[in-house]
This record gives sequence, C-alpha cells and structure tokens, in this order.
Amino acid sequence: MWFIQVLKVCGRELLLVFRDEGVVIFFLLLNAVYPVFYALIYNPEVVRDERVVVVDDNRTAMSRDFTRRLDATQEVAIVGYAANMQEAQEAMHRKACYGIVYFPRDFAQCVGRGEQAHVSLYCDMSVMMRYKAMFTALSNVSQAMGNERLAAVVEPVVSMSGSIVDNRQVPVGNPAMGIASAVLLFILPLVLQQSMVLGIAMLHGGSIERRRRNGGRDPMAVEASPGATVIGKMMCHQIIYVLPVIYVLHYVPLMFGFPQYGNLLHIICLAVPFVIAVSFMGQTLSAVVNERESVFLLFVFSSVVFVFLTGVSWPRYLMSRLWRVVGDCVPGTWMVNGYVLMQTNGSTLYQVQHPYWMLWIQVPVMFILAYLVERYVNRRRYRSWIAASEDNPRILTRIDLAKNGVG
Amino acid sequence: MIGKYIWNSFKRGCIQLVRRPMYFLLMVILPILCCWFLMDLIKDGSVQRVPVGIVDLDNSSLSRQISRNLNGFQQVNIRHRYNNFAEARDAVQRGEVLGFFLIPESLEEDALGGRQPVVSYYVNYAYYAPASMQYKGFKTISLLVNGGIVQAALRTVGLRNETIESALVPYQTHIHMPGNPFINYNYYLNGTFVPCFFSLFILLVTAFSLGIELKSGLSRQWLRTAGDSMFLALVGKLVPQTVLFTAVGWFIQWIMYRCYDFPLNCNPWNMLVAMFLLVVANQSFALLMYCFVPNFRYGTMLCTLLGMLSFSFTGFSLPQESMYPWVEALGFSVPVKYYFLIMVDQALNGIDLYYSRYYYAALIGFTILPMLMSWHLKKECMNPVYVP
Repeated sequence: MWFIQVLKVCGRELLLVFRDEGVVIFFLLLNAVYPVFYALIYNPEVVRDERVVVVDDNRTAMSRDFTRRLDATQEVAIVGYAANMQEAQEAMHRKACYGIVYFPRDFAQCVGRGEQAHVSLYCDMSVMMRYKAMFTALSNVSQAMGNERLAAVVEPVVSMSGSIVDNRQVPVGNPAMGIASAVLLFILPLVLQQSMVLGIAMLHGGSIERRRRNGGRDPMAVEASPGATVIGKMMCHQIIYVLPVIYVLHYVPLMFGFPQYGNLLHIICLAVPFVIAVSFMGQTLSAVVNERESVFLLFVFSSVVFVFLTGVSWPRYLMSRLWRVVGDCVPGTWMVNGYVLMQTNGSTLYQVQHPYWMLWIQVPVMFILAYLVERYVNRRRYRSWIAASEDNPRILTRIDLAKNGVG
Repeated sequence: MIGKYIWNSFKRGCIQLVRRPMYFLLMVILPILCCWFLMDLIKDGSVQRVPVGIVDLDNSSLSRQISRNLNGFQQVNIRHRYNNFAEARDAVQRGEVLGFFLIPESLEEDALGGRQPVVSYYVNYAYYAPASMQYKGFKTISLLVNGGIVQAALRTVGLRNETIESALVPYQTHIHMPGNPFINYNYYLNGTFVPCFFSLFILLVTAFSLGIELKSGLSRQWLRTAGDSMFLALVGKLVPQTVLFTAVGWFIQWIMYRCYDFPLNCNPWNMLVAMFLLVVANQSFALLMYCFVPNFRYGTMLCTLLGMLSFSFTGFSLPQESMYPWVEALGFSVPVKYYFLIMVDQALNGIDLYYSRYYYAALIGFTILPMLMSWHLKKECMNPVYVP
C-alpha cells in the first residue's frame, strides 16, 4: 500500500515536471547548455602572447638577445620598445601592454665584468594569470641564458654542461596545465546539483501557488504519507537525472578534451548517492519558497557559495574549520572532490571511498530533514491555510495583494 | 500634480519593500553575509603548506638533506614519505597529497660522478592554486641542490666566491608587483568577486520586483499611481532600492578597504561614485532585459544567467585578451566589467582618472539605455500576461 503511494507520487511528479516549461528548462535545458557555454569561456586554457613593452637602456647584443628570447616564449609577446619608463608606463595605463621589462644601463657590462646583471619586470596585478605568464617566461629565459653563461665560465676549469643535477616537472591530472581543465571539472557536478535544487523548488513554488488559489488545497497533489511523498519525488528526480548525469559528467569533458581518465561506471556509482542526497536537500530547502519565481532570488546566489566551498580556487585544507564543516554538509562538495580525482588522476571508486561513503551518509540525514520539513512545516502550513480559508475564502488572495503593495 | 504622482509611486515602492521580508534578506543580509563569507574564507591571503609527499629512492646524506630542506619551505608541507613511486601515485589518486618529489636511485653517486641525474616532481594541476605553489617550492629546491653541488665543485678548483655567485646566477630577475606586492589572493579574488556577487543580487532583486507586477496583474494599477507615466512609475519603484543598495555597497567597500585593507591608491570618492554607478547601472541593465523580454520567467532567467556568467566572461581569472573574441565582447555587455576596470585603474594601480573616463561613461550609458526602450515595457504593463 505504502509502495503504491510512492509510485503514485513519482508518477504525478513526472507529469508535473513535463507540464511545467520552467522546470523542464532547469532539469534538462540548463544542464544541456550551461556547461557547454561555460566551457567555451575558459576553453583557451592558457595565456598566450601577453603584451609586454621593453625599456632597454643598455642597447647591446646581449639585451637584444634576451628580448628576442622573451618574445619567442609562448607566454609573452614583445609589442614594442619604449624610450624610457614614463613612456612605457603611459602604454601600460592605456592598456597597450600589461608588463614592462627594464634593462639597466650596465646590463651587459655587469656580465662581462663577472658580476650579476639585473633585469626588472613590472607587471599588472589585476589578473593572476597575466602575472604568472610573464613571471614564467622571464624566469625561464633568464635561467636558460644563465646556464649557457655558467657553462662558458666553468668549461675551462671543469668539464660539465651547465647543471649537475637536472630537474623535471611532470604535471599530472591536467597535463595542459590549463584553467578550463582545472575549473570545469569542479563546476560540472555543481551544475547538476544547482539545476536540480532550482527545479525542485520551482515545482514546490507552483504547488504553493495552486494551494493559495484553491483555499489551501493542491488539486494536483496525491494523497500520501509524508515519507511516501518525499521518497516518491526522489524516485522521479532520480529517473529524470539519468541522462543529464551521463551527459554532463561524461560527454561534456569528452567534447572539450578535458581530462577524462575516470571509468564511466565508477562515476555513475558515485553519482547515485549524490543525486538522491541532492533531491532530499532540494525538498528540504524548498520549504522557504512561496512563489515559483522566488527560487531565482533564494537559490541562485548559493551556487557561488557552493563553488567556493568545494575548494576550486581556495583549497579546502586551508579553510577555517567553520567553512570546512559547512562544505562537508553539501553533497556537491564530496561529489566534486571524488569526481575530480577520478577524471584527472584515474582514481577508482575504491580510492575515492571517503567521498563516496560521505555521500551515502548524507542520504539518510537529508532524508530525515526532508521528512521533518514535509511533515512538520509544509503539512502544518497547508492545514492552517485550509482552516483559515474555511472562515474567509478570500483571505489568501488578500495577503497576496498586500504583499504587492496594494491595500 | 506631478509631485503627487511621484510621491504616490514612491510610497508604493517603499511599501512593497517593507511588506516582503525577502527583499530585506536579499538586499541587506545576504550581500553582506556573502561578502563576509568570501573575505573570511580567503583571509590568509596566500596558498601555503600544500600537502605533498616525497619518494626517496637514494637514501643518501644528500637526499636526506634535500627532504629536510624542502620541509623547511613555506610553500609545501611533507605529509608522508613513500617507499616507491606506486605508493606515492596511489596517495595522489586518493587525494591525500597534491603532488610528490621523486629523488632517483643513486642520486649522490651520479651527481658526484658527473652523470647528470634528474630529480622530478609530480604536481597535480587539477588543483590550480596549490599546484603553482608546489611548482615554486619544488623548482627552488632543485635549483638549490644543483647550485650547492656546483658551488662546491667550483670552489675545489679555486674560483673566487664572487665569481662563483655570478656564474651560478648571472641574470638576477626582479619582479615588481605594483598594488599587490605580496600576491595576496584575497585582494585579487575578492576585489573582483565581491562586487560581481553584489551585482548579481541587484540584478535579481530588480528583475523580481519588476516581474512581480506583471505576474500579479497589478501593473496597470502600478502605472495609474504614477499618472500613467512609465518613467515616474519606474523611478518610484527603483529609487528606494537604489538608496538601500548604495548604502549596502558602500558598507561592503568599507569592509574591503578599511577592515581588510585592500589596496586603495586613489581618492576614495572615485570608488564610492563607481559603486553608486554600479548599482544604478545594474538596475538599468535588469530593466533593459525586461524591456526586451517583458516576461517574468524569461526576464529573470536572462538576468540570472548573465549575472552568473559574468563571474567568468568578465575576465577575472582568464584575462580578456586570451579569450575568444566573442566571449571578450560579451564581457563588455555587463556593468560589472566596467566597475572591475575602474577598480584596477583606480584602487589597485592608482593612475589618473583620465584613463578610466570611458568606463565611468559606460556605466552612465547603461543608465540611459533603458529609457529609450521603456515604451515596450509600458505596452506590456497595460496588458499583463503571466506565463507560468
């Protein structure tokens, strides 16, 4: 009997979803389009040919060689020479360049005398990636030239070619070291989470509006116990999200060539508790929604907060305990951290068992919350509305009007 | 007569703000709370002590010295020592460490024998900011190891100390970072993200407060209180919100520049005016969206979408000149981009106001634009249709 109630709720919820254009947009269109658009924004991945101006007070073969090598790097492009620092600064203020390289008057002479030569870089600090590109280019060039110089100095006395111990960086997980590959994988599971919460809340807002029009009763609702309602809705969301999960977590990285070392089966296994927990979370949170459209106001901003809590730009191990605990309570945090490890480093489900178990722990916790909200907040509210409209059938409409500044 | 209309629509706008607690929540509490969230999250300023591992296959005095020195660096924190490569890789895959340093077998022997051994470091670039820090730490230690051995070798053949020093690092580079000399991540990220977050709230609230008139079917009555003038109706509705938002915006700026000491190298009025213009421009932007799409759902959705995407396409993290041209152009379509450029010019770099003139002008331009389009909204307000 209870199970039939669950199925009825699930069937009705499916019907409501596909009858409501707004919810279809959230559940399907948003998942289809948003990740692609987002990926296109970051798709250039790295900074190439950052504009730099040179002020060369030395004007020797050596300073020109240095400049040429700098121009040849991937990161930096020399767009011109300036006569002095004032002129270069003026170019920087006009955004004709974002960095200045300065060779002092005695640059080559210092090297010739066997002293250290100095070269300065002034860079615009508004965007970190610019600074990083210019910094990398300059230190690579100065090291390469330095090694040649060292070899020339020591060759006559010891036989060695520059360095004794070589070093090598092996970028793992994201071999292109690009920003899109690093950021997008964090965003993708969160798109799923937020679209689902928004859609669930909008459905709930629609139901509330129907209740307000019909004296506290929702003609589209199915008579069922609170537990059956919560679980039936969750089943509906689980069914709808099969396609978006596979598309967003598997095909979007495929389309843009982001790291995709994860096993699809393992990713889906990780996503199952995630979708269940998010569905319960959405049902809990939607209690604060009174109109369909207030979901935009109440939930959209939380996406930014949730993105930061996953640790995409500020790592989680550096967060204060408060924010780490808040992050722990969100299913998205665990899903993201498991998913990123799977896709970038080819981790198996066994290796990300910690996030996986945390997601499974969230399932019953979120269920209890959703159940309590449904039973003690929503249902109690509906009963009071029904009682109030029996006394005065127009009371709910009048409250509505008053909120809009009339009366 | 006009005075009465202004007063009436103004009163209506204020009553609406007071009767829905959601407005107070979204205009005052949440913007300040979110601002505090971002500031408090990144208050340390720079990424340090990245958890890493080390694989020492050599176990010589040299290799132990390397790992001791590496642990002394502030960039990295050696959490574990692994016996072999496979163990370290497993730890990276589990997310226990974000990278590791690999010292090959017979490092010391090969180094002294002149066979050029290679130390390698594996950095997980899936976590972007910690990866850059790891790279810095690992690279420095590798160069120091090499430098130490070369120095010892050159000293034994009788070169002078000064010669050795200049031979090791012949080209000394100096990086100057005006405005943010300590590469403080808080200044960089929150100087841009907090205003962008704030504009998202402005867009959402404006869109909602306009749309609710169409939805409730009260838009005709709204126009009537303003004597059927769209302009007066909008002024009455939006000016109370402008006042509240500007006050909150200035409070946020006070938190940024006074409590957290963000760089402010210009006359404070330049930024205060910019904040006021940002508020007005964002309200006008939402209004413009409604003039194009006078429909509650699509109007709000458009504002939401652009508000969310402006975190990305305005070029806070990937600089604008590296983006696809059409994305770069899209960035210039939202007001917060101009606020960002003003912030960089004025607060961060402290250059002449002359260079930011176009950005201020653009923000003012946003305010004028919807006035030309408001007839479309008026037509819709006379015959409101609500599409659920």
